[in-house]
Amino acid sequence: MMSSVTWKIGGEAGFGIMSSGTMLAKTFSRQGYKTLATNEYPSLIRGGHNVITVRIAVEEFYSLRKDVHILATLNKQTVDLHKDELNDDGILLFDPADFDWKPEHFSRHVVCIPIPLKEMVRVKSVDPVMRNTIVLGASVALLGGVFENLKTVIADQFQKKGEKVIAYNAELAWMGFDHIKKTAGDVRHFYLKNAEKREDQLILNASEALGLGAVRAGMKFSAIYPMTPINSVITFLADHAKELGIVYKQPEDEIAGMNMAIGAAYAGIRSMVATSGGGFALMVEALSLAGMQEIPVVIDLGMRVGPATGMPTWTESGELRFVIHAGHGEFPRIVLAPGSCEECFRLTIHAFHLAEKYQIPVFILTDKYLNESQWCVPKSMFTKPVSIDRGKVVKEEELTPGQMFKRYRLDVEDGVSPRSFPGMKGGIYFNNSYEHDEFGLVTEDPDMRKRMVDKRLRKFQAIQKDIMSPQVFGDDNADITFVTWGSTTGPVREAMTMLEHQGMHTRCIQYFWLYPFPSEETKSLLAKGGRIIDVEQNATAQLAGLIREYTGIDIQEKIVKYNGRPFFPEEIIERL
Amino acid sequence: MTTVRSSSFMTGKMPTWCPGCGDFGIWTSLKDALAGLGISGDDGVCVYGVGCHGNMYNWMKIYGFAGLHGRTLPVAQAIKLVNHELPVICISGDGDGLGEGGNHFIHAAKRNPDITVIIHDNQVYGLTTGQASPSAKKGFVTKSTPEGVTDAPINPLALALTAGATFVARGFSGDTQGLTELLKRAIQHKGFSLVDVLQPCVTFDKVHTYMWYRERVYYLDTSHDASDKVKAFEKAYEWGDKIPLGVFYEEDRPTAEELEPALKCGPLAKQPIDSSCFDALLEEFI
Ligand SMILES: Cc1ncc(C[n+]2csc(CCOP(=O)(O)OP(=O)(O)O)c2C)c(N)n1
Ligand code: SF4
Repeated sequence: MMSSVTWKIGGEAGFGIMSSGTMLAKTFSRQGYKTLATNEYPSLIRGGHNVITVRIAVEEFYSLRKDVHILATLNKQTVDLHKDELNDDGILLFDPADFDWKPEHFSRHVVCIPIPLKEMVRVKSVDPVMRNTIVLGASVALLGGVFENLKTVIADQFQKKGEKVIAYNAELAWMGFDHIKKTAGDVRHFYLKNAEKREDQLILNASEALGLGAVRAGMKFSAIYPMTPINSVITFLADHAKELGIVYKQPEDEIAGMNMAIGAAYAGIRSMVATSGGGFALMVEALSLAGMQEIPVVIDLGMRVGPATGMPTWTESGELRFVIHAGHGEFPRIVLAPGSCEECFRLTIHAFHLAEKYQIPVFILTDKYLNESQWCVPKSMFTKPVSIDRGKVVKEEELTPGQMFKRYRLDVEDGVSPRSFPGMKGGIYFNNSYEHDEFGLVTEDPDMRKRMVDKRLRKFQAIQKDIMSPQVFGDDNADITFVTWGSTTGPVREAMTMLEHQGMHTRCIQYFWLYPFPSEETKSLLAKGGRIIDVEQNATAQLAGLIREYTGIDIQEKIVKYNGRPFFPEEIIERL
Repeated sequence: MTTVRSSSFMTGKMPTWCPGCGDFGIWTSLKDALAGLGISGDDGVCVYGVGCHGNMYNWMKIYGFAGLHGRTLPVAQAIKLVNHELPVICISGDGDGLGEGGNHFIHAAKRNPDITVIIHDNQVYGLTTGQASPSAKKGFVTKSTPEGVTDAPINPLALALTAGATFVARGFSGDTQGLTELLKRAIQHKGFSLVDVLQPCVTFDKVHTYMWYRERVYYLDTSHDASDKVKAFEKAYEWGDKIPLGVFYEEDRPTAEELEPALKCGPLAKQPIDSSCFDALLEEFI
């Protein structure tokens, strides 16, 4: 019996690879198992080869490992590409109509289990696209799962498509399940140990968690131009716009998107955009506009491989420096970077709060790996109470009708002046991109200019008290300290678990609040000495650079990865 | 309706436009049109582009958003989606609205938001001291086209018609009364309304003077059928000895806001933040 199994399915794009992963994860997460499903779709290979890997475990874990216990394949190419990843005693599920795989084709000991997939769909006269459902049934059998659990997942998955679709999907799944029981009844070595169900768990990606967070924070307007890897934010918001009473607008480009979000926030509600590096490049001028006009806006930047088009469907965390420095002129901003799906939800809510508290743009840096992997998160993580504070907004009764409103009052210690919203009687001011006076009227007066810059930059000091210390995991007295941020946190923590088993204690400092940089906190956390190792998913170790800039501490040891693939914990351990 | 006077829009700052600039006429007509419609400075928003035209906000007391060059339309559409009870007017230039913001222009027209766009059409980039604008006619000598413009000009009316605008008009800043009436109709129109205003730049355009326009402009009369798009195109391309003014095209089509389900219960800005259906949302992911 296994306490953790990794299953991988591959095939041509359009054959339901991604949804098989989600369904397998749900079949087990509903029983209390922890799951993680992560996809890869290298768009360069002909036919669009898609892969999804699902790890299912009894206990909490933080990332995949290099294991592949079961390789489920819908075509020969998948076997060709992934056969060397199979563990010893690994199981290969394949259709003998594609190729008759035998143990001698593999360098390790592999259990080859043929399933006549094409034949089965032909007999049932259903679309060959449904072969994945047969494989899903077979896989649940190999994991020692209960068929009924898969059946309910199928019913939920195809609910919108109607009873008939549910019925023949369930039938196909059963054929796969039954086939294993009948032909390979003794292959039980990857049966999972029982897990204890504590509470409901959600299977979702970080884009969806971000959408949920935005909704919980009262976000009412978003304008998002499609771009990998944030497309599922669009699907989530557009699908639920009606019931939630929110507006999602597809803009003509990211320039429009950012200007729309700014216009919406100016008009009185909470708004956001989401994009990736290239799209954000187009937003930069408007980012500076938000800085000048003191507009609260939340920007989700889902990082992917750059520069330029880069490798659109692969992961990287290379935009940290970009968001800190983007925009002409000097103005305050906050940069947050969740290290997990639940953190993404929490930080999104917080981002809206901070944006309105300080009337500034706030970034949430996510990446392809976070945004397109399906994470397993306990429901209670999403149900904590949220209080919404709109920050400094004047009430209409405090205004004097007929008079202009001092929107940019200078006599504010924290640099944050109360806002009025268009339509309020007596609240007229100019929301001005040009340097302005307290009413927003244009000015080029040297004294007023200086005072306005000082006012805006005073927010930096005010923000200091809200800066959140990095999270620290592991052993405070350990010799090795990992320093990391964003999605790399998962593989680092997984590596720590593995090292712990080898008797090696380590510590991890995870930055999720990156700017304004927590310099004092960093100095004290790193004062202890020992080996400090920076782990980042980019080539130039951008966090290490920031640490040096703000604390003078020059981290010597760096483990960086920038081939587009997320870290495996084993790779971190190997490079220690 | 409360009475609103044109003078109520004064801010105390005086215009910095060159004496005689066509922008004066547009400013006067806009104030008169708003006053005529009973729209006060508190209950409307003007979104300004960057250019001589955009400087207007300093002497125009109405909620004002002075943003980036070319970006009035995305801002205006968002304001309208958040608070569709407010009239929203874009004060844009031919460089601002058709050059830098050309893509926004096409897409805004296509969506039919209930906003009004006034293009200050002077064939030049005034604020950057007189380069050719996208609407500059062939042969026109400017600082950036010493040999004369070689490109075909963008025709703002035809572009708006193609893109799907539901109200397309042209005015002349030398006739403020006529322009006031056009602006009133444009603001009252439900949907995307364009008013392209022939606006002499007295400093950088010595060809298209008030006199030049006065000798050519005439108003479309009742014989023009404003519901006929083909006729509207024909008239939009009439340029030479005779230049038509007035409403070229008008159509009734649902606005972007009317089609937005979330706005059914009133403006977004006035809706409470409600997360009552949040639990059902979570269920979808289990
Ligand atoms: C992004 C950007 N590019 C260039 C400019 C410089 N600029 C200011 S106004 C202007 C042109 C204005 O022309 P138009 O819109 O026709 O307005 P006018 O001054 O003629 O009223 C330009 C190019 C700018 N402000 N922003
Ligand atoms: S430069 Fe031309 S457009 Fe600008 S204010 Fe002077 S006359 Fe008017």
